[in-house]
Amino acid sequence: MDRRTFLSTVGATGAVGATTGLAGCLSSIGLGDANPDVVLGEPDRPFDSEDVPYPAWGERVPAVELPAPVDGGTVAFRDADVPTLATFFYSHCNTICPVLISTLRNVQTHAANEGYPDDVAFYPVTFDPERDTAGRLDEYAEQMNVDADAANWTFLRPASTARAKAVVDEQFGVAFERTHPEDMDMYMFNHGSLTVLVNRDGYVERAYTSTSPDEERIIEDLREVREA
Amino acid sequence: MNRRRFLAAASGVGLTAGSAYVATEGLPGTDADAALPRRVETLDAPGSTGGEATVPTPDAVTVVDLFATWCAPCDDQLAIIDRVRGEYDDVSFVSVTNERLGDTLTREDLVAWWREHGGAWTLGVDPGSDLLAAFGANGLPYVAIVDADGTVAHGQSGLMDADELRARLDALA
Repeated sequence: MDRRTFLSTVGATGAVGATTGLAGCLSSIGLGDANPDVVLGEPDRPFDSEDVPYPAWGERVPAVELPAPVDGGTVAFRDADVPTLATFFYSHCNTICPVLISTLRNVQTHAANEGYPDDVAFYPVTFDPERDTAGRLDEYAEQMNVDADAANWTFLRPASTARAKAVVDEQFGVAFERTHPEDMDMYMFNHGSLTVLVNRDGYVERAYTSTSPDEERIIEDLREVREA
Repeated sequence: MNRRRFLAAASGVGLTAGSAYVATEGLPGTDADAALPRRVETLDAPGSTGGEATVPTPDAVTVVDLFATWCAPCDDQLAIIDRVRGEYDDVSFVSVTNERLGDTLTREDLVAWWREHGGAWTLGVDPGSDLLAAFGANGLPYVAIVDADGTVAHGQSGLMDADELRARLDALA
């Protein structure tokens, strides 16, 4: 097993001891609960927010503004006046992206059914601007049963591949790289998975890095943040 | 590997690869409240009676198929189950989606999808993905074969073909 594989395994299985030992940044228990910027307490995890490449608990969401190709205009992450859920995807993805988008979609449906559609915003960000045009994103929404016409759902699309790198990888810490599978006639991506819950002041409450985030956990975290 | 990559890997935002509708990390299958069997809402649809059902079916070998309407291979799994089920009169078949029903996917939409894809057995809904979590399913489609005592004999993410389904059912007969 090479080092890279081993490290991936550490991440995937959540081997707390190994991760902590390697990262060397065990947080002090309970210290963060007094953070005035966030509603939720510090999650139980073997590292500090500053030690991970993505915006994590208690950190400000990056000061990024992205075009909204379907809705028109642009969206600045720090300007939202409601709690937001953002995730990162590309529509040709067969693996984890439909799960991530489906999870947001299920939360959107929960919000509609339970009467709080105006108290949350969904920002799915594509890192494949080349193929994810406004028309393509519209079709994708239809396929995934997303209500893309709802005011709370806004697809975001960096203007170029370079901009996608700068924002999705460098600002949000979601690494992605093109692959060319032998059995396919198009490119795909290897990529990380991240869904972030940001409060209305622009601070990250939770960063869910699972490839299949727990929808009910998100709904409950969102409820606490909404009602704060 | 630079520090950034290392941290990404160690904290679970590493690169992942794959070509099926399979997520690489399980749903939280260890929740204390996620034990089997579970009560699931069922829909009035071809082969299915509206109400509630216990999944897996008590005292019966059960094939549990977890699906979503957006998942293309799930259509294929439905067709495979449809092909095999007539050969196993004593086996209970149940398909459940974790999609939350609402304006963009109504009860009627789901029943129409079921009809269109040849579903003809129990159809259930699992808003909140509790059943997925209980099975520890980490991708769709997910197929589980459960014996008459309620023990999960086999569960897998990704398509199960007809021959394998038959072989696994024959092993429990």
